[in-house]
Amino acid sequence: MSDRSALGPAAESSGAPSGGPTRVLVVLYAIFALAAGARAGVQIGTRFSEAPLAYLLSALAAVVYVVATVGLVRGGATGRRTALTAITVELVGVLAVGTLSLADPAAFPDDTVWSGYGSGYGYVPLVLPVLGLLLLRRTRNRSDRTDSPA
Amino acid sequence: MTLPLVVAITVVAGLLTLLGIASTLARRRIGLLHVAGVCLLEALLVVQAVLAGVDLARGDRPVETATFLGYLFGVLLIPVAGGLWARNERTRWAGTVLAVAAAAIGVMVWRLLQLWEATRV
Repeated sequence: MSDRSALGPAAESSGAPSGGPTRVLVVLYAIFALAAGARAGVQIGTRFSEAPLAYLLSALAAVVYVVATVGLVRGGATGRRTALTAITVELVGVLAVGTLSLADPAAFPDDTVWSGYGSGYGYVPLVLPVLGLLLLRRTRNRSDRTDSPA
Repeated sequence: MTLPLVVAITVVAGLLTLLGIASTLARRRIGLLHVAGVCLLEALLVVQAVLAGVDLARGDRPVETATFLGYLFGVLLIPVAGGLWARNERTRWAGTVLAVAAAAIGVMVWRLLQLWEATRV
């Protein structure tokens, strides 16, 4: 079939402990690090006094996404621990901020990435940490057998 | 910022997303078709940035100018980063990497249009 070759050469199998799916997750995290970082930068730079709490949370979210991205990219035991911590903070953050923003909208006059459980971003911020934790669990089981030092 | 251009970008981004998923399903890396799609997408985004730049220079200002500029130039980086990454990815997940990047662009251009339309409020 000629259209199959248009899809590219045959793939190599992802034998490394941090396989292909991890890399897809890294792309998602990188995009959210960019989105949350840019949003926090604009909010804090232009109108910090309007909603300091919401904007600081935006900045926190951005930092968490960056740390998670770096942890996932680095891999290994340290990278995995870093990513695990960041993603756990992220999950707690999105649940806490999501709940608070719905329970007490007055405390959040302007939206953050995590407001309404990430409804402004298609709920991806809610799904992302769950996927991340599942994937870390899966790769840990695999790397226990094949992990190399460093 | 015009609706037809945003629609065109969305269509190309959507096709690229499907193409990327197709590669992953076929257990293949990305091919020439993907690279062509990325180039077309980036070209359309550059055209959009130039047109928006001209509008801004003429004095049209969206309410959230800083956010608008952030999206306008941020979106230019994604096909480049996603494309290079997918090109270097040797597993079948190269296509999915590209699909995620393309889908993000499809969403971002609509947010961009929304920010632009806030000029007239």
